[in-house]
Amino acid sequence: MSYDLGLKKGVVKGMEVMELIKPFKWEESSSSLELQHEIEQFYYKEAQLLDHSEFETWFELMDKDIHYWMPIRMNRVGREVSQEYAAQGKGSHYDDTYETMRGRIRARVSGVNWAENPVSRTRHLISNVMIRELEEPNTYEVASSFIVYRNRSERQSDIFPGERRDILRRSEGGLGFKIARRTILIDQSTILSNNLSVFF
Amino acid sequence: MSLNSEKWTPETIRALIDAENGALDPRIYTDQELYELELERVFGRSWLLLGHESHVPKPGDYLTTYMGEDPVVMVRQRNGSIKVFHNQCRHRGMKICRADCGNAKAFTCTYHGWAYNTAGDLVNVPFEEEAFSGFKKEDWGPIQARVEIYKGLVFANWDPEAPDLLTYLSDATPYMDTMLDRSEAGTEAIGVMQKWVIDCNWKFAAEQFASDMYHALSSHLAAVVAGLPPEQDLSNYEPHMKGHQFRSEWGGHGCGFYIDTARGSVRVGPIVDKYYSEGPAYEKAKERLTPLLPYDRMATSHMTIFPNCSFLPYGMNTVRTWHPKGPNQIEVWAFVVVDKDAPQEIKDELARQNVRTFSASGVFEQDDGENWVEIQSALRGYKSRTAPLAMQMGLNVQGKNNPDFPGKTSYVFSEEAARGFYSHWARMMSEPSWDTLKPQS
Repeated sequence: MSYDLGLKKGVVKGMEVMELIKPFKWEESSSSLELQHEIEQFYYKEAQLLDHSEFETWFELMDKDIHYWMPIRMNRVGREVSQEYAAQGKGSHYDDTYETMRGRIRARVSGVNWAENPVSRTRHLISNVMIRELEEPNTYEVASSFIVYRNRSERQSDIFPGERRDILRRSEGGLGFKIARRTILIDQSTILSNNLSVFF
Repeated sequence: MSLNSEKWTPETIRALIDAENGALDPRIYTDQELYELELERVFGRSWLLLGHESHVPKPGDYLTTYMGEDPVVMVRQRNGSIKVFHNQCRHRGMKICRADCGNAKAFTCTYHGWAYNTAGDLVNVPFEEEAFSGFKKEDWGPIQARVEIYKGLVFANWDPEAPDLLTYLSDATPYMDTMLDRSEAGTEAIGVMQKWVIDCNWKFAAEQFASDMYHALSSHLAAVVAGLPPEQDLSNYEPHMKGHQFRSEWGGHGCGFYIDTARGSVRVGPIVDKYYSEGPAYEKAKERLTPLLPYDRMATSHMTIFPNCSFLPYGMNTVRTWHPKGPNQIEVWAFVVVDKDAPQEIKDELARQNVRTFSASGVFEQDDGENWVEIQSALRGYKSRTAPLAMQMGLNVQGKNNPDFPGKTSYVFSEEAARGFYSHWARMMSEPSWDTLKPQS
């Protein structure tokens, strides 16, 4: 497999934007039922943590070299469709390392993050889970679809649909996996809400 | 310009802003008819920020944006200039260009196929010979706007009578230069526009960036927590107290800044903070800017160029246009600028810090969105719209002008720049002619 993720150097590179417009590279043969079950259950538990404000526990699912990235998507004419996603460092809604995510989590649980206090009601629906085993042992690239619903204050409601492209590593303890990379393909160009104070 | 409104006369408009006593009529944020007048009298006559010249580096590069609610295309020409024209075909009103940005040799309206060159000239009308007689293509190109650039920022204006951009910017330019003129290399934009929607009136956002350091102490506590080193928390964090606010002599522009303090690693992270506080880039900026103002004493800063261009110098470097979408909604269109000659690792880190702090997901900005939405929601009420809002901070506060800094300055926590912003708004809304509006020398 020539798809260099830089894992051996301990650094997960951001995905090339050209990869993002193409379908996920699924395996010729379907992954084992057991692995499929394990990863789906991991995602359902993760969604529970997010939807019940267990942000510090959720953060424990991040590996130290996490790149948590949501590139901006643009309206492009057909001949320039390969540039639909802003390249890394050229415009993102999230572009976070472990350290900056830790800051975000500290803010969220501080009690003074007014955008989320009073707290929002969120629902993370995760589906369309597809798994590809990578050369690196116990490491998987996983595509999943999401719809995140947020309802806050009296009447505000936001719907954020999209796809996640994750790199998961098996881990001892915890929920069984660590998230080494999360690339979030949000299905909006202009973000249709007053902020993105939710995690995906 | 006509000044015909059945509901709003120049006198009733001027009465909405009581700058002398520091009071605002809340209807300026909600009234549909005032909003329609704003599109004509404010957005139809002011210099509006569209982007950075580095957004369109090569001939044919374009981006589409808005002036008020009018869609426009900003295109780099073969001769290096930039043109801005109405993004609307004069035939049936279709948008000429429907992409956000890109490179084009021509723009063809997809409705009936009328084609325009990159200068906005109508160059091809299908079946012109067979179906038209004596049609003059040169009369039916899209409306062109005036374009001027201030140190990389591209502004446009519909009004041929408006003063030139430099006159319009009045005495605000030294404060703009703290972000735009640190190096002879100038600045460049990093990446593309980030866009999001906030259900609030555009003036809340514009005024806050002109005149409101005050809110940071309450609104942005969580952002401070996010930026502190792990071993530190709010209990041993000292907020800044020293600083000034600038109100432009003319034009409603405003700026606020802290002085004589660390620059602010909480906001930009230690790497960017260091770049802005010491070393060759800082020394060069100090040397260039010191003739204008005591740059070495300045730190975290906010600024608005009337009406809807705002930015945050000192390494936050977010630049945005608050595009109005009716009286109750805006779209934020934000981008990041950086010294063009900054090392690549500084550019990368500054961009990453910007997403972390001042973006839709930013730890600062997400709480601003919450505030403005809740204000706009409350303003649905009758009492909410009839009880005046207080804008008195800094009134009759003596001795706060600092002659070390250019222009009229007051204490950093003031509403002097807000009074300037709204007073200019009232003038734009009530004075039909630039003869009275323009700066009187």
